Amino acid sequence: MNKLDILKLAHRNLWRRKARTILTVVGVMIGTTAIVVMLSLGIGLKESQRKSMERWGDLNMIRVQQGINFDREGKPLGEAKKLDDAAVAEIKAIEGVVAVSPAYESGGEAKFGRKRGHIQLIGIDPEEMVNLEFTASLGRLLKAGDRNVMVVGSQVINNFRDEAEIRKMQRGMMFYEGPRRLERKDPGEMMDQRIAMEIRNNSNHEKKRIFNFQVVGVLEGEFKQHAYQAYAPIEDIKRMRKFMMEGTQNGGGDPRMMREIAMKTGGEVRATSSRRPMQGYDPDDYNFLLVRTEDVTKTREVSDILRERGYNTYSIADQLEGIEKTSRTIQAILGGIGGITLLVAAIGITNTMIMSIYERTKEIGIMKVIGATFQDIHAMFLAEAGLIGLMGGTIGLGLSYLVSYIINHFSRNFMSRGLPPGEEVMGISLIPPYLALFAMAFAVLIGVIAGLYPANRAVRLSPINAIRNE
Amino acid sequence: MAAFIEIKNLTKKYRLGQEIITALDNVNLSIAQGEFLCILGTSGSGKTTLLHIMAGLEKPVRGEVLVKGVSLTKMKEKDMAYFRRKHMGFIFQSYNLIPTLTAVENVALPLIFDGVEKKEREKRARDLLIQLGLKERLKNKPTEMSGGQQQRVSIARALVNNPKIIFADEPTGNLDSKTTKEIMDILYERVKASGVTLIMVTHDLDLAHYADRVIHMVDGQITKIVEKGVSA
Repeated sequence: MNKLDILKLAHRNLWRRKARTILTVVGVMIGTTAIVVMLSLGIGLKESQRKSMERWGDLNMIRVQQGINFDREGKPLGEAKKLDDAAVAEIKAIEGVVAVSPAYESGGEAKFGRKRGHIQLIGIDPEEMVNLEFTASLGRLLKAGDRNVMVVGSQVINNFRDEAEIRKMQRGMMFYEGPRRLERKDPGEMMDQRIAMEIRNNSNHEKKRIFNFQVVGVLEGEFKQHAYQAYAPIEDIKRMRKFMMEGTQNGGGDPRMMREIAMKTGGEVRATSSRRPMQGYDPDDYNFLLVRTEDVTKTREVSDILRERGYNTYSIADQLEGIEKTSRTIQAILGGIGGITLLVAAIGITNTMIMSIYERTKEIGIMKVIGATFQDIHAMFLAEAGLIGLMGGTIGLGLSYLVSYIINHFSRNFMSRGLPPGEEVMGISLIPPYLALFAMAFAVLIGVIAGLYPANRAVRLSPINAIRNE
Repeated sequence: MAAFIEIKNLTKKYRLGQEIITALDNVNLSIAQGEFLCILGTSGSGKTTLLHIMAGLEKPVRGEVLVKGVSLTKMKEKDMAYFRRKHMGFIFQSYNLIPTLTAVENVALPLIFDGVEKKEREKRARDLLIQLGLKERLKNKPTEMSGGQQQRVSIARALVNNPKIIFADEPTGNLDSKTTKEIMDILYERVKASGVTLIMVTHDLDLAHYADRVIHMVDGQITKIVEKGVSA
């Protein structure tokens, strides 16, 4: 029997009992809508959490920091790994890593034009900046061969004030209100400006030097961590640090080193009583490494590998995992509620099909006598049940989009609270294409499964009884 | 004449409550190709059971039905369905048309199961219905037709697959005498023209004269065989 003929016959048979078919379809429709809307809420929840995580940082960035890992009881695990060029090469070789850049952190007083403020300056490999997924909203990123230039985050400008204003404040005529987030200044103001960084020597604070930088670009993103930072070629920062550390005793004097000693000795800084030789940092070690991976999954994999090798890592993706676990649970519960509704609908299909077979006993018998095989009969009834599933699924999906739209429409006001201004409000109900496809396929599958038992019954009907003359 | 259908030692028993009823008791029969055979008997004589077993719709307790040497009684259900679809046609007392289908669609139904294209099968159905005088009724549903017309549709359905054997179970049982004659004339004519073997079951002695051979059945046994020309 031809597949198209089976479908046509099935379609025709369904509309013999319009009311019954429509009611059964309505059942499937409600079930599909329930499951799609419930799952869409779960997906919306997950997505909005993800979006808010992304506001804080990139999900495919790992920061490898100085320091060592600790076990659950707070005991140090292994030795701290040195963050040097060997480490950069080692990490670059890990599968899933797209780019690695060493970084120094520095900062200090800065001036441009008539404004004065503070800049947190990160030195990175200028060549790698584009690979680290930075994008410039104005100007350009750092590139190979750059010297004495910087790219600033969009919030850096807010750390600057007019000198006149500062003088007024110092005289107590104005209250310092901190960086005013609401009256945001235009970061474009800094473009092409020459920034003068005033760096003081660590051992002799009277000794200072000015380092000049030209602003060549402004970074995109207002809420990420890098919005508050400025980036410069690492060689420039190395020179700055060299000046800072001239004449200091033990390397670097990095506060993190003291913290590590404190942790290793149980909270007290007693370097002399430590049995192990003191593990200081080489002042030439990088402060941290920026690692960019292919995607979130790789971020986790690479983080795990790095931790195993003794690196101390941090990434936003670490936090995402816990949140995802919670939202999976919520999704399972929501999906379960929808699933029960669809189960009831499936029972409705089975019921309809059994009734239909009772009514058509004679017809089924005749078809068998004139040459329908078991498979033909089976296929005909499965097709009918599947069609009910398809119709219910299609209409249910349409209804889901409507319900989803209504939910989002009414939750919009509520949702936009607490979001930074200018941020696009995301719906709490999201129906991605794969959910739509899944829902349709599932509805048809449910129909076919619900039709299995009735179809088997139809197959087993005796043709003799059906055609016996009354 | 070489036996086209051969029935050997056919026995069929039913359990009806406590009782075991013997519907067929060791029946032996040979049927030639193109023969019009009439099985005559009262209700409960076993004539319908014999027809069902010959059509492979029921399995005997003992014995065999061979069509051109092929045993139908040993055939699997699927092969049997295929065999019926290819080589057999059926006509019933109560027409047994599908109420939702039009005359053309009812006639074309066996061809649907055979996977014949819609255009082709509807053309064949239409041609047959026109030949049987139902030109005006092609698009009608069974409920919109008289008994005689319905039976003509069902004859067309039995003929549409160009079968080797047609089984007719009381084909005129629901019809008045005028229509009965009409239907029997058509049936006789078609059968003789196409050379198909017709096996008709009836309790109506008046129809027997159409047949080449009449078999009388009583209590599951053949009691008398009358050849045409001998009795008529």
